[in-house]
Amino acid sequence: MTIDLKANTCPNREQRAGAINAYYGKATDLVREVRAGSLVNQEREFQQSSGCVLNFYLTTRVVTIRDAVMIVHAPVGCSSTSLLYREVYRRIPPSEGRPTDFDLHWLTTNIDEKDVVYGGADKLRHAIKEAQARYNPEAIFILASCTSGIIGEDIEGVVAEVQAEVEATLVPVHCEGIRSRIIQTAYDAFWHGVLKYLVRKPVKKQPDLVNIASMLSYTWQDRQEITRLLNRIGLRPNFIPEFATVEQLRIMGEAAVTAPICPTYTDYLSKGLEQEFGVPYFMYPSPVGIDHTDEWLRTIARFTGKEREVEELIREERATWVPKMDAIRADFARLRPDGKKVEILGSLGQGRLLTQVPYFEEIGVSSPAAIIQDFDNLVLDEVEQIIDQAGDFDVLVNTFQAAELSHITRSYDPDVALTCPFQGSAYKREKGATRIHALRGDARRWSAQAGYKGAIAYGNFLLQSLKNKAFQKTMLAKTPDTYQDWWYEQTDPLHYIKKEA
Amino acid sequence: MGTVTALRPKEENRYPGIAEAPRFSCALGGAYMATLATFGAVPILHSGAGCGMSQNFGQNFAAGLNGAGPQGNTSTPCSCLVEEHAVFGGEDKLRALIQSTTELVRGDLFAVVSGCVPALIGDDVGAVVKEFREKVPILHVNTAGFVGNSYKGYEQYLDAVIDQLLTPQTVVRKRVNLLGVVPYQHIFWKGNLQVLKDLLAAVGVEANMIFTEPDGLEALRRIPSAELNLVFSPWSGVPAARKLKEKFGTPFAVIPSVPVGPKDTSQFLQFLARRLQLRRSRVEAYIAKEEARTYRFAEYMADIAMMALPNAYTAVVADTGTAIGLTRYGSNELGWLPEIVIVTDDPPEESREEIVRSLTEGLESAVKPEVHFEIDAHKIRLLLREHTVQLVLASSLEKYLAVDELDAMQLSVAFPAYDRLIVDRTYAGYRGGLALMEDIAYKYGGPL
Ligand code: SF4
Repeated sequence: MTIDLKANTCPNREQRAGAINAYYGKATDLVREVRAGSLVNQEREFQQSSGCVLNFYLTTRVVTIRDAVMIVHAPVGCSSTSLLYREVYRRIPPSEGRPTDFDLHWLTTNIDEKDVVYGGADKLRHAIKEAQARYNPEAIFILASCTSGIIGEDIEGVVAEVQAEVEATLVPVHCEGIRSRIIQTAYDAFWHGVLKYLVRKPVKKQPDLVNIASMLSYTWQDRQEITRLLNRIGLRPNFIPEFATVEQLRIMGEAAVTAPICPTYTDYLSKGLEQEFGVPYFMYPSPVGIDHTDEWLRTIARFTGKEREVEELIREERATWVPKMDAIRADFARLRPDGKKVEILGSLGQGRLLTQVPYFEEIGVSSPAAIIQDFDNLVLDEVEQIIDQAGDFDVLVNTFQAAELSHITRSYDPDVALTCPFQGSAYKREKGATRIHALRGDARRWSAQAGYKGAIAYGNFLLQSLKNKAFQKTMLAKTPDTYQDWWYEQTDPLHYIKKEA
Repeated sequence: MGTVTALRPKEENRYPGIAEAPRFSCALGGAYMATLATFGAVPILHSGAGCGMSQNFGQNFAAGLNGAGPQGNTSTPCSCLVEEHAVFGGEDKLRALIQSTTELVRGDLFAVVSGCVPALIGDDVGAVVKEFREKVPILHVNTAGFVGNSYKGYEQYLDAVIDQLLTPQTVVRKRVNLLGVVPYQHIFWKGNLQVLKDLLAAVGVEANMIFTEPDGLEALRRIPSAELNLVFSPWSGVPAARKLKEKFGTPFAVIPSVPVGPKDTSQFLQFLARRLQLRRSRVEAYIAKEEARTYRFAEYMADIAMMALPNAYTAVVADTGTAIGLTRYGSNELGWLPEIVIVTDDPPEESREEIVRSLTEGLESAVKPEVHFEIDAHKIRLLLREHTVQLVLASSLEKYLAVDELDAMQLSVAFPAYDRLIVDRTYAGYRGGLALMEDIAYKYGGPL
C-alpha cells in the first residue's frame, strides 16, 4: 500500500485494512477469515455509545501538542471532552520530567443553526486568525466533525486561502465522526495531516533519534522508563504526538527508526515516514513484559548500531528485574487453591492483544478469551505468532459494547476482569475486577506498564486485585443490574448482530 | 456599582461563539445528562457513536469527577450513525435500537435524544418514536448539538416531558417542584436538591426534586400536582416554569440562586412561609434552631477564616446561580470583598440586567464586583489578570493560573471541576457556608 499524501486524507481502516468491529469466535478463524478478506463488518441492532473518529481519542491527544492550537470545527459538544486538557496534564510534576512550557489551547468554532444553513467557512477563517493572534502557535490543527462533513464545509479551501495570512502551519484533519465505524481511522487521519503538512525533508539524519508514537493509555512513568532505557545505550526518544512540540513532529524524518508502543496506532505514520523519508520501522514487539522489552530494545539497537551496548543493558536490567518477576509469578501460582492458573479477562485494543497475551504468559496467568476493540489485517502474522505461543483462544471483537462485555465476563467468569475505567457498571462482579490501564495524566508509579519497571509494577497491580473483592461484590449485591436476566441466559454475546448487513 | 464591561470593540467580536474551552457541552449533552439524572430513565441516543461517550469527560467527569452511572457513557444505547445512514437515513437503525433497548435494558422510561446527524439528514425521529408510544413510556427530545448548549438541552428535556408525558392532576397543597438546578452543569446539583428538599420538609413542604428521586418516572408525572414551582436560577428552568403555568396553571417563583449559608437560607424560608401560607411560628422556630447551631459551629471555623482569608478580595468565575450564591455569602457573612464576577453559562440577554443586580445589590461589602459575561477561557484569563485578588472561586480551568498568575488561592466550585470528587457535597442551606470554608481551609492548611 502506498500512502497518497496528495489526497486530502487517508482511506478508512475498513478500506485500507479490512477492519471490522463485530466478531465472536476462535482467534484462528478470525485470522483466517481476515486474511482471506471474507469478513465483512456487521451492523448491530443493539449498540452502545463507544467513541467516534473525533472523540475521544483524537481530541485528547492533539490538544497536548505544546505549541500548537487545536480548532474543532463543530458544534460546541464535540470538543467538550477537551475541557480537561490543561489542568489534568499539568498535574504531572515537572520533577518527573514534565516540560514546563505547558499552556495548551483549543478553540471551538461553535457551529450553530445559522452556520448549518449558510456554512461556517467565515467562522473558521476567523477562528484561525484568532488562534494565530492569541497564541502565536507553530501549528494549528483543524479538526473536522460530523456536522462540518455533512454540510460540506470546504476546509481544504479555507486552509489554502488563509495559510498565506498566518505564520502557523495549518493542518486539516479529516476526522468526521461519521466517516468510519473504526476509531483507529482517526489515527491514520491525524498522521496523514502530520505527514502531509508538518514533517520536513531531513537535512541531516540524527542517528540516535528514535520516533515513538506513544498512546495516551500508557502512562507518564512508561515514558520515563523508555527514556531511561534508551538513554543508557546512547539513544534519544522522540515521543510524539503527546506533549511534543511541533518541531518534534517536523523532525521525524531525521530519526533512525520508528518504534512501536502500539503497532496499529503507529502503522500509518511508520509507513509514511519510510515511504517519504526513508525512516525504517518495525511493528513488533512492543516494550511490555520483560522478554518483549528485551526484543524491542534489540530491534531498535539493530537500526542504530547499538547491538553491543544493548546486550550489556539487557544483562544488567534482567539481573535487577527477573528476580522480581519470579516473585510475582510465584505469588500468582499460590493464589488458586486448585493449583490452576489464575484467569484474567482483558478488554483491549488490537495492539494490546499482541502485548498482553505474552505478558500473561510471563506472569503465569491465563486468559480465557480476548476482547478487542477492532481488528484488521495489519498485524496478522504477529497474531498468528501469539496463537502459536499461547494456543488458540476465543475472541470477541467489539468497540466498548458494555452489554456484550457484561455477557462475556459473566459467562467466562474469570478471576480478574480488566475493564476500561469508563465502562459504567462493568466493575460489578463476584470476583475481582480492576482497570486495564491508566491515562497519561496519571504519573504515579503503580500505574506503569511499559519497560522493565512497568512489567513489575503492573504485575503487582494485578496481584493486588486478587486480594480483596469487597468493593465489587458489595456493589454487585447492592445495586440493580442494567440488563434483563434473559440476556445472560442465552449464550451469544453478539445476539443482536444483524446477520445479513 | 457593578458594571457590564464590553470586552472588545464590536467589530472584533463578530463571532462571539468561537471560544476556547466554553464551560458546557451541546444541547444533546444537556438533554442526555437530564435523562441520566432521572432515575430509572434510559437514554437512547440517535447520533454519532462519539456523542455519548465524549460527554463522559465533557459532562460527567467535568462535574466533579462523576461516573455516568448505570445507564451512562458506554452503557448508553446509541444508533452510532455513519456515512451510509447519512445517505440512506437512520430511521431503520433507530427503530431496531429502540426495539432492542426496550427488550434488553431495565428501565421505566426511555428517552430518545436525537443529535446533529439525524437533524442534518432529516430523519423523522418523532414518527419512529411514535410507533413505540403504546408499548412503553417513551420521550423524544428533538434536539441537535448545533441548536445550543447543555443548558438549552436541559430546557428541551423538560419541554419534552411537559408535552409528551404530563397530564393535569389534582393540586396537592404544600407540594412544590424544584426547577433550575441543572444536572452536571451545576456541579453540586445532587447535594443542592437534597438540601432543599430536606429544608422544605422541615417546614412542612413536600418537594419534588425531579432528578435523583428514587422513582424518576413517577417524579416526572407528579409535576402538575404541585402548588408552586420554585425556580432556583434567574433563567434556567424559567421556560419550563412558564410552560407549566400555561398548561396546568401552576404559579412559579424565581429565586436567583440556591441559598448559601444561614442568612439567605432563612430569607428563603421566610419568603416561602409567606408564599405558601405556612405556619409562621413553626418556620421561625426552625430558623432559630438552625441559625443557633450554624453560628455556634461557625465559631469552630472563625479562627482559620480570619487567619487564611480575612476580608479577601475575591474573584468568582461560575454559572449564574453559583456566582450569586457564593458572592452573597462571602460578602454578607464572611466579610469578603467581591472584586470581580465572571458569569460563564451564557445567560440570555434579557436576564443579564437582573443577574447584575443580584450580584451587586444587597451586599454588605463596600466593594461591589465588576460583572462580566464571558464563555471564553482565554478572555476570562485576561480579565482576571486585570485584577488583584486573593481568592478565586472558579472552575478547575483556573486552577493553575490563579496560583501562578494571580498569586491567589483557588477552589473549584463550578463547571468544570476535574480536581475534586463531588458526590453529594453542597454549599446550600445552613451548613453550606461552613462546607465551603472547610474546602477552602483544606487548600490553605496553615501556617498558624
Ligand atoms: S455537537 Fe452534535 S455531533 Fe457533537 S457531540 Fe453534540 S450532538 Fe454529537
